Parts: sequence; C-alpha cells; structure tokens
Amino acid sequence: MTLAVSTTVTEIVAAELGRAPESLRPDTDLRAVEGADSIKVLRMVAKIEQAYGIELEDDEIFGLTTIDQVVAVVDKAIAREQG
Amino acid sequence: MTAALPWAGRADHHCFGCSPHNPTGLQLSFADSGDALSAEFCLDKRYESYPGVVHGGILGVICDETMGNLIVMRLGVPALTTSMRMRYVGVVRVGGRYRCVARADFKPELVHATAELLDFAGSVVGTATASYKPQRSEL
Repeated sequence: MTLAVSTTVTEIVAAELGRAPESLRPDTDLRAVEGADSIKVLRMVAKIEQAYGIELEDDEIFGLTTIDQVVAVVDKAIAREQG
Repeated sequence: MTAALPWAGRADHHCFGCSPHNPTGLQLSFADSGDALSAEFCLDKRYESYPGVVHGGILGVICDETMGNLIVMRLGVPALTTSMRMRYVGVVRVGGRYRCVARADFKPELVHATAELLDFAGSVVGTATASYKPQRSEL
C-alpha cells in the first residue's frame, strides 16, 4: 500500500464527506461518518477513478467500509492498469 | 464560444445527438473552452426512465456525443467509439439543468477520452471513459 495513494484517497474521501483529512483514520468506518450516503460514496469512487485513470469494478467497491480497503482496491486497479 | 461541427450545414446531418434537424434527437450544442468541450442539457419526459428520472442510456449518448465531437473538432475527421464505460453517481432529473464536459488524451492510434456529467451546482452525477478510433478521412 503506497503512502501517496493513501494520502490522495483520504483527501478525496474527506472532501466528499466534508471532513478534515486528519479526522479520518485508515480504519474509520465510512458508513458511520455523519452525512455519508451511497451517492457520496459513488462520487468518491468516480473522483478516485478520474484521479488515477483507473476503472474500479462494482464488485470491488460495494462493501468497502474503510479508507484502508479503498486504498487496497485502488492499488490493485493501478497494478491491473500497468499490466 | 459555441462550437460548430464540420457537418453543421449539411442537409443530411441527422445525428440523434446533435442535429438541430432531428425532432426526436437531443439537439445538443457545444461550447469549446480550449481544453474541453461541453454541452448543457435539460431533458423532457421523452427521455424518461423511472418517473422523473432521465434514462441512463440517454446519458451515455450525451457523454459519447460530447467526447466524440471533441475529437472531431480537434482532428477534423470522425472518430468511432471502440469502447465506453459509464459510472452513474446520482440521479439525473427530467427538467433539470445539467452539463457534460469532455476531455481527451490524443494518442497516435486511439484517443482516450473522459466525460463528466455535472448538475447545476457543479456536483458530479456521472462520469464516462471511452476510446475512439479516428478515421482516415471524412465519412
């Protein structure tokens, strides 16, 4: 898991949820954050895809609950993209 | 600045996405900002899916149309879509005002393009990625 990916993902998630990045921990349950809903989660996913030029599979993203899990999926997609 | 497509004046221009002469089409018009091409749209019930909701396939047409026409305007030749993928983020309402913004990364063989669907407040309601194969000459 790269620190750069973790930092970027945290910033995107924080921006969508209207939180400060430092208020989110890698294991924060995103479903429990006030104001989080499925549209905001999809918007995060869309922004992450744009930021890295990757396509995340629906099977990968539905069920993600923490930033650590999101980062792991992004790392996997980047590796897939680079072949 | 409103952007004119190469075939804008042709009598046989009947594109479902952008011809002003196709009464069943979307009649999109485009604005060129230099790094992107955009189209504003507000769709009525002819393009409805669930009550009050614009059909997702129509949103795919709008993204494809905007990305494709960006390439046409930059390269001067038609480009055929080879693949396209949508990510639907939020609901697009019948009667609502939205905007599609397309950008492209030009490579020698294939052009990779992206599009965003934005609501009036600028929030993303959908995104698209696609690849296009430019043709060697006009269709």
